[in-house]
Amino acid sequence: MSSLGTFLILTAFVVASGACAASIAGARRQQRNLVFGGLGLFHVVTALMVVASAVLVHAFVVGDYGIRYVQRYSNAEQPLFYKLASYWGGLDGSLMFWATLLAAFGSVAVYVNRERHRLLIPWVVAVISLVEMFFLFLMVIHNNPFETYLTTRPTAGEGLNPLLQNFYMAIHPPLLYLGFVGMTIPFAFGIAALATGQLDDSWLRAVRRWTMSAWLFLTVGLALGALWAYEELGWGGYWGWDPVENAGLLPWFTGTAFLHSVMVQERRGMMKVWNVSLVIVTFFLTIFGTFMTRSGVVQSVHAFGEDRELALMFTVFMVALLTVSFGLVVYRMPLLRARNELDSWASREAAFMANNWVLLFAAFFVLFATMFPTLSEALRGERLTVGPSFFNKWMAPVGMILLFLTGVGPLMAWRKTAFSSLRQQLLWPVLGGLTAGSGAVALGIPFWSSGLCFGLCGFVSTTILQEFWRGALVRRQTTGTDLFTALVGLFARSRRRYAGYIIHLGIVLIFLGFAGGGFGREEMANLEPGQQIELPPFMVRHIALTVTDDGRKQMVTAEVEVLQDGKSLGRMYPARWFWRNRESEPTTEIALRRGFAGDLYVNLAQYEPATQTATLEVKINPLVNWIWFGVGVMFIGTIIALLPERAMAFATSRVPEGAVTTTMVLILAAAFGVASLHAQHVVPSQTVSVVARTPLERRLQGEIICMCGNCGRKRVGECTCLKANQMREEIARLTKEGKTYDEIIQYYIAQYGSQEVLSAPLNQGFNRLAWFFPYAVGAAGVGLIGVLAVRWSRRNRVTPGTAATPAYDAALERRLDDELRDLD
Amino acid sequence: MSKKTARALVSTMIIGGALALLLSISLSEGAQYYKHVDEVMVSPEQWYGKNLQMHGFVVDDSHFVNPKTLEHKFSVRTGAHVVNATFTGVVPDTFKNGSEVVLTGQLSADGFKVAPGGVMAKCPSKYEAGKTGSAGK
Repeated sequence: MSSLGTFLILTAFVVASGACAASIAGARRQQRNLVFGGLGLFHVVTALMVVASAVLVHAFVVGDYGIRYVQRYSNAEQPLFYKLASYWGGLDGSLMFWATLLAAFGSVAVYVNRERHRLLIPWVVAVISLVEMFFLFLMVIHNNPFETYLTTRPTAGEGLNPLLQNFYMAIHPPLLYLGFVGMTIPFAFGIAALATGQLDDSWLRAVRRWTMSAWLFLTVGLALGALWAYEELGWGGYWGWDPVENAGLLPWFTGTAFLHSVMVQERRGMMKVWNVSLVIVTFFLTIFGTFMTRSGVVQSVHAFGEDRELALMFTVFMVALLTVSFGLVVYRMPLLRARNELDSWASREAAFMANNWVLLFAAFFVLFATMFPTLSEALRGERLTVGPSFFNKWMAPVGMILLFLTGVGPLMAWRKTAFSSLRQQLLWPVLGGLTAGSGAVALGIPFWSSGLCFGLCGFVSTTILQEFWRGALVRRQTTGTDLFTALVGLFARSRRRYAGYIIHLGIVLIFLGFAGGGFGREEMANLEPGQQIELPPFMVRHIALTVTDDGRKQMVTAEVEVLQDGKSLGRMYPARWFWRNRESEPTTEIALRRGFAGDLYVNLAQYEPATQTATLEVKINPLVNWIWFGVGVMFIGTIIALLPERAMAFATSRVPEGAVTTTMVLILAAAFGVASLHAQHVVPSQTVSVVARTPLERRLQGEIICMCGNCGRKRVGECTCLKANQMREEIARLTKEGKTYDEIIQYYIAQYGSQEVLSAPLNQGFNRLAWFFPYAVGAAGVGLIGVLAVRWSRRNRVTPGTAATPAYDAALERRLDDELRDLD
Repeated sequence: MSKKTARALVSTMIIGGALALLLSISLSEGAQYYKHVDEVMVSPEQWYGKNLQMHGFVVDDSHFVNPKTLEHKFSVRTGAHVVNATFTGVVPDTFKNGSEVVLTGQLSADGFKVAPGGVMAKCPSKYEAGKTGSAGK
């Protein structure tokens, strides 16, 4: 299989070079056949890469340890999910994953735009093929994931590092790669526009959605990485300004800048050079980030190994990339002149410019500080480094300025804002900001570390609310609908703008989480059973220390009780896991009690099983969950912005008055219902799958729940508390005595007096109703939606001789459009 | 050069100059020397009291910890040079005998005192087995 994989990679390289050559020749000679040939060849590259990936995944699944890469990053014990994740777990595989994603993205992008941008497409194919060839070249010459052992074939694999066997870590790299790879598409279109001289706004329209999707992947990828660090690494933080983290952040800054400045070009025909440069810089930074983290040029905690040969290849590629790209920009400078000039500094385009400058400064500052050790060594011969505090000192004010601009930007009008209108627009947001800031200071929160941030969060959120409120009022007036319907109608009329506000709201929530970091607290103590740590309002009492084994790892678990005002809130189980064959690298499994006000974070730092003593590190991380929540809101906002125009047409044409209100109320009820459940739920940090000796035991462990009262009705097979341990032992004893499934179930029902001990009611008698109920509700729901859909579409059908629905006549539509345009 | 261009140029220079000045001031406060144990221990006196990031390998069987106070004592080596280090707090999961570490702190005649949160340990993992990985801070 390894020969097949290598053959596929080699073939892909040859075909990609064919695609590149055919496309360039086709574009220059204006021969459609060659252009189509190039397109077809590029799709072949994608197919080859998909097959090569399938070969590698197959090798991981069947455990083909003759392949070095498979042997190094997987083993037989690893669950299937992590065997699949091992594909991108190492350098060689991550390069191949990158190349496969790029081919797939490229195929979709060129297919979608093949007719609309006929002149650009051959150049787009050529650029993507060149980038693809670079990654394929790296694999062919230096990092072939299909490389085999030359002598003896090992019989077992080393396995993926336990730290990486975490759900967030398994999905965080692919999302980041999707973000990185996605940024190649706007770059390819930008270069195509420069090469052809087609530098009107059409190339921007082609790439806007791609950039937004890539940006979304980057955002979510970065957030998941932070969440992984927070939950898995056991240091209580989520961002340490490590080069590997910064590598993902750099293109995020410039990508964000581009998404804003592109609007200035679309509306005012300005910033053309800037936009095309941002696209180039963003792509460059994705490559530079990869170079930085994989070549060993920067010392990192993650330290991705030193590889001078790889560094050289990346350097050559980057120098060529910058020379050609900016050479083209200079060559096309006459075509990149702005259509308009800046009329006033008090305008929206000026606010966007300011935002772009700050974002670009952020990107270059982070780049400078990350590269500072290398730079200082090159210049002074002495390696100097800067720590997280240096980054924080600089980036905190930058963040505040950006947050402020997030609030001010929407209040500005295009071209010029009249002072009187600005004063009127600023009134409520400033009041909101002052209230939030002074409220925070009154509560004893220090002004500079957090109070200012709270004030700005108040300012920006009031701006956003004001925009929604005013827009909805105008729309209600013009359409005569209720407020909620008008609100949803706003998205249909000006989707990008209002989706942008939702994304800004997400940013505000994230900054709330950052502000919380300014007043976190922590305590650490060595405790014997019964002793406690006080960290108001909580008291954490050490109960016991247990050592268990599930066949794959040994677990040392501390059981602690959390009390507030003398009342028990439940138990938590921080632990250390010692994985088989990696006993010298225990992993910290922290215990978290999540809440909107903050997390209670308990870490088992040291322990002594003989004396049952445990050194516990207890932290309160205020507001930290708002960061993840904010990213969720940003995700929703971006998805709305990405929806096709017609997706929201229902809000203005098909749905009867009041239907949107009902839907919104239901959605809100569902959202908050779920949220409150989560808010009360204590999340222990680990799920333990204890090895059951027989299939019957396994079945019972999955159907009987832990009756300790604190675990939130977890199945005994998954629960880590002492009670679950006892129940597992009891189940093992009963099965050993030869009792049947029914007998054991009846035993538990008798012991606890009801079927409460079962995870699902028995499928008999009256209980069948409980089984039947969800299906009945589901079927009824589908039926209801069908009936409503038919009725609503009928209602809007205009029958001859009757007047059209008065609420949506054309004159009103036009008026509304005009008014909303004025708001822009 | 038009008046407008000159004005933009002067503004950019003032802002750029101010930022460069701020950067150099904060760098002189925040920067630390990144050194390997052997580079420092050739003449340790000249490094006393300076902010250092020291790179080396934990000497086998040199790590002792008081579980009550979480005081760690260990030795770090590069080549033939060794330095004794002390640290109070929680070490990352990847810290163990033989592991590659970067310690942040200050050197004195008593040894290397690691600052709070100043232990970074590398582990065999993600990209290059034996060299790399993700570690706690």
